[in-house]
Amino acid sequence: MKIEVRMLSARVHRTPLLKDISACVESGEFFGLIGPNGSGKSTLMRCLAGLQRPVSGRILADGADLSTMPARSRARRIAFVEQQADTTDRLSVRDAVALGRTPYLSPLRGWGADDDAAVTGALRAVEMTAFADRLWHTLSGGERQRVHIARALAQDPDLLLLDEPTNHLDIRHQLSLLALVRALPITRVVALHDLNQAAACDRIGVVLGGRLVATGCPHEVLTETLLADVFGVAALRHPAPDGSPQLHFSHAL
Amino acid sequence: MTVALASGRVAVGRGLWLAPLLLGATILAGTAIGETRLPFTVVLRTLANHLWGAGYPVDGIEAGIIWSYRLPRAIVAACCGAGLALTGVVLQALLRNPLADPYLMGLSAGASTGAVLVAVAGIGGGVVSMSLGALCGALLAFGCVVLLAHAVSGGTGGGRATQAAAAIILAGIAGSQMFNALTAFTIARSANAEQARGIMFWLMGNLSGIRWEDVGACLLVSLAGIALCLWHRRGLDAFTFGADGAAALGINVPALRGSLITATAIMVGVLVSKVGAIGFVGLVVPHAMRFLVGTRHDRLVPASALAGAVFLVAADVISRILVPGQVLPIGVVTALVGAPAFALILIRGARR
Ligand SMILES: Nc1ncnc2c1ncn2[C@@H]1O[C@H](COP(=O)(O)OP(=O)(O)O)[C@@H](O)[C@H]1O
Ligand SMILES: [Mg+2]
Repeated sequence: MKIEVRMLSARVHRTPLLKDISACVESGEFFGLIGPNGSGKSTLMRCLAGLQRPVSGRILADGADLSTMPARSRARRIAFVEQQADTTDRLSVRDAVALGRTPYLSPLRGWGADDDAAVTGALRAVEMTAFADRLWHTLSGGERQRVHIARALAQDPDLLLLDEPTNHLDIRHQLSLLALVRALPITRVVALHDLNQAAACDRIGVVLGGRLVATGCPHEVLTETLLADVFGVAALRHPAPDGSPQLHFSHAL
Repeated sequence: MTVALASGRVAVGRGLWLAPLLLGATILAGTAIGETRLPFTVVLRTLANHLWGAGYPVDGIEAGIIWSYRLPRAIVAACCGAGLALTGVVLQALLRNPLADPYLMGLSAGASTGAVLVAVAGIGGGVVSMSLGALCGALLAFGCVVLLAHAVSGGTGGGRATQAAAAIILAGIAGSQMFNALTAFTIARSANAEQARGIMFWLMGNLSGIRWEDVGACLLVSLAGIALCLWHRRGLDAFTFGADGAAALGINVPALRGSLITATAIMVGVLVSKVGAIGFVGLVVPHAMRFLVGTRHDRLVPASALAGAVFLVAADVISRILVPGQVLPIGVVTALVGAPAFALILIRGARR
C-alpha cells in the first residue's frame, strides 16, 4: 500500500505535536522513523493508524483519505503495534493473536478455517508456535512483543506500523525480528531507536520537535552533522562490510 | 494444543445444554422453598395447573403463594442477577478496570436518591411511583457521571482513550458519593424512624414487592441485554489491549462504548427501580466466570448471565429462610457470600 502524508498537523489538548508533515511511502517500502524521545514518532504512527485525527492535512492510503475510511476496512489494511500495550486478562497467546482477525469477523460470520490458518501462520512467523497455549501474564517482555507482532500479522495488512518493536528484545530476537520485518512483502513503517538498525531500512525519516526534518536513503540521511544536530551526539561513520553506513557513537554533545 | 482447545469447546458445548436445566431447577427451588413450608407436590401441581391447566385440586392460598408471589419473585431475581452480572462484564471490559461494576457508575446511588425523594420528600405529588423515581434518578446520576468524565478527560480530543476510562471511574466515585449524600440528607431531614428503616431495607435490595406485572420489564431488559452483549462479543474481546488496541482492530470505540454503556445503564436503571440496589453481583460474578470459562466474551457473556441468575435466586431463597420469621435484605446475603467469594477468587488467582 502506498501511503501519502500531506501537510499533516496534530495536537493534543491544544498542544501542537506534529507540524506540517509531508511524506510519501511507496508500496512495499520499508520506511524507518527515527528521532529523539518526545519528538513525535508515536504521534505520527497513531495518525497513520487512524487512531488520532489530524487537525489539518490529509493521509492518503492508496489515494483514499484515511479519515473517511470506515474503521473496519481500515483495520483490514493497516495493522498497528503500539509502543506499549498490556492487559491483566488471563488469555492465551493463541487467543491474543486471534484478536487480529476481529476486522474480518462479524456477529454473524463466525470463526473459520482461514482464520485458524492466519493465526497459525502468524505464530510461526514470530517463532511463537510453541507458546500458543501459554497465558499472557507468564510471558517475558520480548515474548509479549512478538505476540503483538503476530496479532498484527494475523490482520493480514497491506501496511504494518511498528512503534519501537525491538524494545525489550534480546539481540538475537531483535535481529530475527528485523529480518522478519525486512522479508515481509508489504509496506512497513517502523519507529526505531537503534540508528544502526535504521540503517537497514529502504528509506528513513527523521522527526524532531514534531517536524519531519529529513527523509531519504540511510546513507544520505545518517550523516555526522545530522546526528549532531538532531540527536546531540558525536558519531563516526564507517562503511560496513556490506556497504551500509555503520555508526559509532563517542559522546553526547 | 488442538486437543486442549477442542475439549474446551466440547465442555462449553455440554454446559450450554445444561444451562436452561440449571436455571429451571434454581427457579423451581426458589418457588418451592420459603417461610411457609409447602409440599413439593403442591408446588408442581400448582405450576401444572397454571401452565397447562392440569386441574389438580390444590389449596387456594397455597396456590396463591406459589404462583402469584414466589414464582414472579424467582423470575425477577434471575433477571436481575443476569442483568447485573452482564453490566459488570461490559463495564469491566470497556473501561479496562477490574473494579468496574454497575454501582460504580452512580447508578444505584442515583436510583436510591430518586426513590427516597419520591417516598420520603413527596416529590411527584403521589403521581410518580417509587420505581419511576428510582429509574429517573439512576439515569440522571449516570448522565452526570458521563458528563463529568467527559469534562475531566477533555472531551474526546487527544485520542487517549485510556485516560477517558480512568476519568469515568473517578467521576463515578464522585457522582456516587454526591447522590448518596443527597439520599442521607433527605432521610435525615424528612423521614421518621419507621420510614427510614423501610428505605434502608429498600436500598439494600428487596424483592418482596414483586408481582407478575413487574416480570415483563425485567425479562425484556435482561434478555435484550444478553442479546446485545452477544452481538458485540468480538468488540468486547477487542478491548483486551485497551481502547486504542480496539480502535486499531477496527472497532468504532466511541460508538460501541456509548451504546453498550447506555444500554447497560438503562438495564440497571429498570432493574434497580424494581428491586433496589443489590451489590456484589456485578462485581463478583464476572470475575468468577473468567476463572471458569476464560476471558472470551462468546463464553463469558452467557456464563455470567447464567451464574448471576442462579446466584441471585439462591441469595433470595437464603434471605427468606436464614432468619426464621424475618426477611433479610437480599443485598446483605449477596455481600456476605460475595465478599469472601471474591477474596477466594483473588487468592486463588494469585497462586496460579
Ligand atoms: N496526551 C498528551 N498530552 C500532552 N502531550 C503529549 C501527549 N501525548 C504525547 N505528548 C507529548 O508529545 C510529544 C511527542 O510524543 P511521542 O509522539 O510519544 O514521542 P516519541 O514517540 O517520538 O517519543 C512528547 O513531548 C510528549 O510529551
Ligand atoms: Mg514513542
